[in-house]
Amino acid sequence: MLENLLSPDFFNAILRATTPILFAALASSVASKSGITNMALEGIMLFSALFGVIFSAMTGNFFTGLLLTMVAGGLIGLLLAFFVLNLKTDEILAAIAINMMATGGTVLLMLAVSGDRGSSTSISNFSAPRIHIPLIEQIPFLGQILSGQNLMTYLSIVAVVVMHLFLYKTPLGLKIRAVGENKNAAESVGISSRKIQYIALILSGVLASMGGFFLSGGYMNMFTKDMSAGKGYIALAASAMGGDTPVGGFLVSLLFGAAQALANIMQLTEIPHELIQMVPYLTTLIGLGIYSYAGMRRRQKLAQKA
Amino acid sequence: MKKVLAMLLVFSMAFSMVACGGKEEPAPAEEGSNTPATEESKEGEETEAPAETGSGDTYRAALLLNGTLGDKSFYDSANEGLTRLRDELGADVFDFKVEQMGGQTSDEPKWEPTLLDYCDSKEYDVIIMGTWQMADPLAKAAAEYPDQKFMFFDEQFDFAGNGDPKNIYNILYKQNEVSYLVGAAAAMMTTDDSGFFANIDPSTKKIGFLGGMDNAVINDFLKGYEQGAKDIDPEIEVQVSWVGDFVDSTKGKDLALAQYQAGVDVGYNVAGNAGLGQIEAAGDMDLYAFGVDSDQAALLPDFAKNIPTSALKNVGNSLYRAIKLDLEGNLAYGTTEVLGFAEGGVELVKDAHYEEMLPENIRTKLDELEKQIINGEIVVDTAIQR
Repeated sequence: MLENLLSPDFFNAILRATTPILFAALASSVASKSGITNMALEGIMLFSALFGVIFSAMTGNFFTGLLLTMVAGGLIGLLLAFFVLNLKTDEILAAIAINMMATGGTVLLMLAVSGDRGSSTSISNFSAPRIHIPLIEQIPFLGQILSGQNLMTYLSIVAVVVMHLFLYKTPLGLKIRAVGENKNAAESVGISSRKIQYIALILSGVLASMGGFFLSGGYMNMFTKDMSAGKGYIALAASAMGGDTPVGGFLVSLLFGAAQALANIMQLTEIPHELIQMVPYLTTLIGLGIYSYAGMRRRQKLAQKA
Repeated sequence: MKKVLAMLLVFSMAFSMVACGGKEEPAPAEEGSNTPATEESKEGEETEAPAETGSGDTYRAALLLNGTLGDKSFYDSANEGLTRLRDELGADVFDFKVEQMGGQTSDEPKWEPTLLDYCDSKEYDVIIMGTWQMADPLAKAAAEYPDQKFMFFDEQFDFAGNGDPKNIYNILYKQNEVSYLVGAAAAMMTTDDSGFFANIDPSTKKIGFLGGMDNAVINDFLKGYEQGAKDIDPEIEVQVSWVGDFVDSTKGKDLALAQYQAGVDVGYNVAGNAGLGQIEAAGDMDLYAFGVDSDQAALLPDFAKNIPTSALKNVGNSLYRAIKLDLEGNLAYGTTEVLGFAEGGVELVKDAHYEEMLPENIRTKLDELEKQIINGEIVVDTAIQR
């Protein structure tokens, strides 16, 4: 087992498992920063996983497929925003509706497009390519990790930086945070909270759709029924644990990805699989514990100073 | 605002129901007489439509699916077996109707009422259904309608616990027997040093198994697989990984990749859709994975070169056999029968693709083993209390 843990394959597995969670965690953080919990991530990812396959196959290349999927993801975000902001639906219930619609809707769509109910194997898919970086590729060990990843994995890391800059260095990012912190205060200085939350949810949908696209166009090369398998919810937890910041979400997603990859390797040992399957969830619990303990200490220190 | 929310929920429920019913899209396999009614018209029609044509001596069967046709597995197989029987005997001797109840959680509430409606209509000599989810509705219906005959496949019916009903014939499959052959084939492949398999390293005697959830049926697959492999070479190590569900194909792929990277050359996926992950992993690594429940080499042409063959439970054959026996008056209702190779209840796909994928010595050995299982020389262990 140790040799498996020290091979580049293990680190590749971590990055692979991290990518979809990371996109969704970023999606969750931008929505949370604007004051809305986007629980529809799961449904958006599932829809996007199918859209990715369909659009890529229709247009004949993955790039336009990805763009169209991002547009579709943004539209689902818009739909959620419409229900929550215009119709004043409870944000959690609207999200549950979208998630339920995704479970049945993707099967219906897949049936209409491919005649299959279980998986999209009859559609020839165009997945995002792996990127080989010259020179870096040749570094022993490290090169096999830094290079040769799926394009979407690199994009997810770029997205962390972009989202960080967006939220903390741009006027729009400031407005999003202002609305999330205190809607009334933001309104009082002339910010339209509705407009800002619309933008945040659409952006959230676009980011989640990129995670969904990766599921069927990189991780796997086909869509299979219910393939999001709870990743959207895990991402919600990752984002919350990371304090709803892009960088925090990245670190926690990486931790979750590592826990999942470790659990996968551990199944090769004699340890009962029931215990191993607890590893990702145990990590979440421990992580949350440490996070809230650290938060408590910080508050205590502040209190002492005051 | 509540109204809007309610509308939204209704819309989403309707959408998901239509999705799993999928009845507006007639699958190519379906044909005239069993074209399913749409959701709404169903209740009205089923009591009257078939009655006119039903002359006194036609044997009529109703196949109630807690899923839909087009699964390319159990349900299609059941439909195929009944269609074959009707074509053979003629529709005036045997006829059947398929009712697709849908397989999603939101469809569950209508399974039992549909079953009871069918019992109530008294138009069918036998009502056929399968899988563990139908066990409870069946127990209820069988007690309520003691004169109605039922067939129940792929899950053990608890006769003793339900007042020993004499109107149910229960069919189980020896997935351990067919898995024995898969295990033997996998063991012969991973130790093959003839160079037939370019990417197999005969020194690592490891084969893999990807299970969905750790339950009795999946363990039955595993038991047979392990026994088959060890009978070929006792040193073979079987790496077992469990997905934890039947849908997470990405996790299935990661688990399988971890196995292949640890020296496994041949795998066996018994994990539903999650098992497709193992097949993709085999494709990525240019290694092998055996298929299950449907002819996956034919279904997944992109990965056919990685799938030597598939292990099938032949639901269609078993129903064909049962109804023929029933027509002769020889079917033992009130009992459970476990069908293996001898009765055609399970099979390993042996087509041109199989002959191309496996060298002759392996195929000959598999035929030999199959014969030994049929004549009882080899008894395959089981994980199921029968």
